Amino acid sequence: MNRREFLEKSLALAVGTSALLLPGKTGRALGVVVSGPADLAAVRGGEPEDMFDRGLAAMGGMKRFVSKGQTVVVKPNMAWDVRPELGANTNPALVERIVRRCIEAGASKVYVFDHTCDLWKRSYVTSGIEEAARRAGATVVPADQARYYQKAPIAGARILKETLVHELVLQSDVFINVPVLKNHGGAGLTIAMKNLMGIVWDRGEFHSRGLHQCIADLSLLRKPDLNVVDAYRVMTRSGPRGTSERDITIRKAQVLSTDIVAADAAAAKIFGTEPNSVEYIRQGEALKAGTMDLNRLKVERIAL
Amino acid sequence: MKKLRLRPLLVWTFLSGFVALFLLRDAGGGGLLEFGAKIQVFPALLRWEITILLFAGMTLLAGRFYCSLLCPLGLFQEAVHGLGKHRLTGYRNGTPLRYWILAATVISMAAGTLGLLHLLDPFANFGRGVTQILRPAIVAVNNLLASIPLPGDTSRFLHALPPAPLAPLVAAAAGIFLAALAGWSVFRGRPYCDGLCPVGTFLGLFSSHSLLRIRFDEGSCLNCGRCEAACPTACLSSLERKIDHDRCVLCLSCIDACPGGSLRLGILPAREGLQRRTFLRIAGGLGTALGLAFIRRSVEPLGASGAAEAAPPPISPPGSRSHENFSRKCIACSACVKACPAGIIRPALLAWGASGLFQPHLDYNFGYCQFECKSCTTACPTGAIDPLSLEAKQLVQIGRAQFHRNDCIVVKNGTACGACAEHCPTQAAHMVPYRDGLTIPKVDPSVCIGCGACHFACPATPKAMVVRGLPFHGTAKSVKAPGEGPVMDPLEEFPF
Repeated sequence: MNRREFLEKSLALAVGTSALLLPGKTGRALGVVVSGPADLAAVRGGEPEDMFDRGLAAMGGMKRFVSKGQTVVVKPNMAWDVRPELGANTNPALVERIVRRCIEAGASKVYVFDHTCDLWKRSYVTSGIEEAARRAGATVVPADQARYYQKAPIAGARILKETLVHELVLQSDVFINVPVLKNHGGAGLTIAMKNLMGIVWDRGEFHSRGLHQCIADLSLLRKPDLNVVDAYRVMTRSGPRGTSERDITIRKAQVLSTDIVAADAAAAKIFGTEPNSVEYIRQGEALKAGTMDLNRLKVERIAL
Repeated sequence: MKKLRLRPLLVWTFLSGFVALFLLRDAGGGGLLEFGAKIQVFPALLRWEITILLFAGMTLLAGRFYCSLLCPLGLFQEAVHGLGKHRLTGYRNGTPLRYWILAATVISMAAGTLGLLHLLDPFANFGRGVTQILRPAIVAVNNLLASIPLPGDTSRFLHALPPAPLAPLVAAAAGIFLAALAGWSVFRGRPYCDGLCPVGTFLGLFSSHSLLRIRFDEGSCLNCGRCEAACPTACLSSLERKIDHDRCVLCLSCIDACPGGSLRLGILPAREGLQRRTFLRIAGGLGTALGLAFIRRSVEPLGASGAAEAAPPPISPPGSRSHENFSRKCIACSACVKACPAGIIRPALLAWGASGLFQPHLDYNFGYCQFECKSCTTACPTGAIDPLSLEAKQLVQIGRAQFHRNDCIVVKNGTACGACAEHCPTQAAHMVPYRDGLTIPKVDPSVCIGCGACHFACPATPKAMVVRGLPFHGTAKSVKAPGEGPVMDPLEEFPF
């Protein structure tokens, strides 16, 4: 069973409709309009939490990803001791809404963490995410100590064959990746694949062994069940930390996808960068972590 | 009926306050604890030399109550002795060593080094003891507890803390000092106050003439000797019915011990008051002390010049203005060490040279100075670090990043990195085109504040980004332009 078949079959079960309604590869390639949930939803023109609700509906609703009693881990980008207006961290209202939808879908526990760059507690507080996530019912946990990480092998990796990964990513039933789209001095762009650097303990290893390949390798570790790219406030320069509001462009967009490479490709295009020019996105596709060819996916485009 | 004894309660309350001051980043107490730190003798003197008159006057009036109420090391000795309840040995003559210690301390200060003061000051010793011994121990116990799996979600109230900043050799020195003093205190009461402390000896010069003092009521005294056995500074002789007021700290243990109420705290009758000769002696002493203090002002501190020769030069906290200013006023009490949430301010054994023993510095191997934080600037009791607004602190250049190109991952491995620029809060470290589509760091010194984010983040060995301390702190160009908001450019159509 390849990835596509698996996806389709899971969808068939989840939706519970006739297999006849599910489109084949040919159908999609020809751009035939088909029913069923999207592989990628792109939303624009609304507030982050409203765009998420619309995008999620197009993706099949939260019930597609979270079943009753499951544990969920939500991984936003809250790496920096920087306030929300400066766009260095994921929008707190978006994280809050995601957590709320998970709990409504019956999640027994929703965890939120990030292995921050600045001091963890300050970053959790200043980003506004800790408070927002807790308001929605999440358990916000620290990730600042090696004791929370376990060694995990990465099948199919080229360089990063194993690394220390936060235990919640290894143990939770559902993994939701919520990056913010930003310029990045080292990697070019930081989106969904790069956001996963916040689930590992040793980031230095990435830099010293080959940043792009390690980012691509890590995307094979555990495929997020859903990626939600916050492209509301987009840091167009001085990233990933930024220096002032001048570095921010209000784009009011969001990308949701089950495919992490496709999410990065779509977000890169919103940023104005060809996905092909970002090495780790290219390498991610080469490793079959996903596709940057959006034509091969069922894409919903939603304007609010 | 047993006499209600308030003294131990008082001692433990005050001691707890001083422990909290050096233990907790937010010690509470509505600023009272910080005030308690600022009115310590040497911190106050290093801030304003003229306060010497205040301490002298205060002690002339009311004796060495400072030692029994306000000095954390005095409280520590009394608390430890109280736990042991060991019988004391009785009156001893005061040792002349304490005058030599005081003289050596004052002369070394005037000569431009605080090294001896760092070694001897009771407040500084107490602060280092708490931050280097107690704090790491508490963190270790907490982390042990946090590692025990408990049912339910315990993460909100019990989670592992990062290790408390600890300089092993300084911790060893502090540990030996406190352990020795604790052991000694069990048998001798307040041996530091009695025979070694430069602060106590200095105050003793005035307390021997103080108005408020403990006195014998000769008529009712039965010579039972209980007062003498209770005196922690061994300054009371019950046979001779005398008290050496230069060593008496007014702890009132003798009054508590006296069964007949033959000892009481009272005002010296006027006829026994200050003699003309005594007055002149005190005035002369104070004049000399103030003179030395002003000589000290014009002498360049040895710590600063020692540091300048060191490689790499140490980094002093934001607000310390210059290595000279910092070395002139820092008492090495570790209040800033405690205040730093990043745990990068650490006492150094010799980074400031032998004359700056235990003086703290910023060590970027353990983290970096957080851009949105100014905690250390308000923690200093001596004025070695000025309080700064966050805006001002974000522009203070405490060091400067130097890029060693040949050590950089991008050059050595030919792969992308940018960890330095990623962490740089001002984009002083930023990426510029290199070759093969790669980018390489470049440093703009005009906006570099020397926070060490690049230094810490650099994954190369040896580090390609190295921050060196600036002997004179500078002011960076601001990267913030107030009033300029974000660009409005909502996505009008999907590019795919």
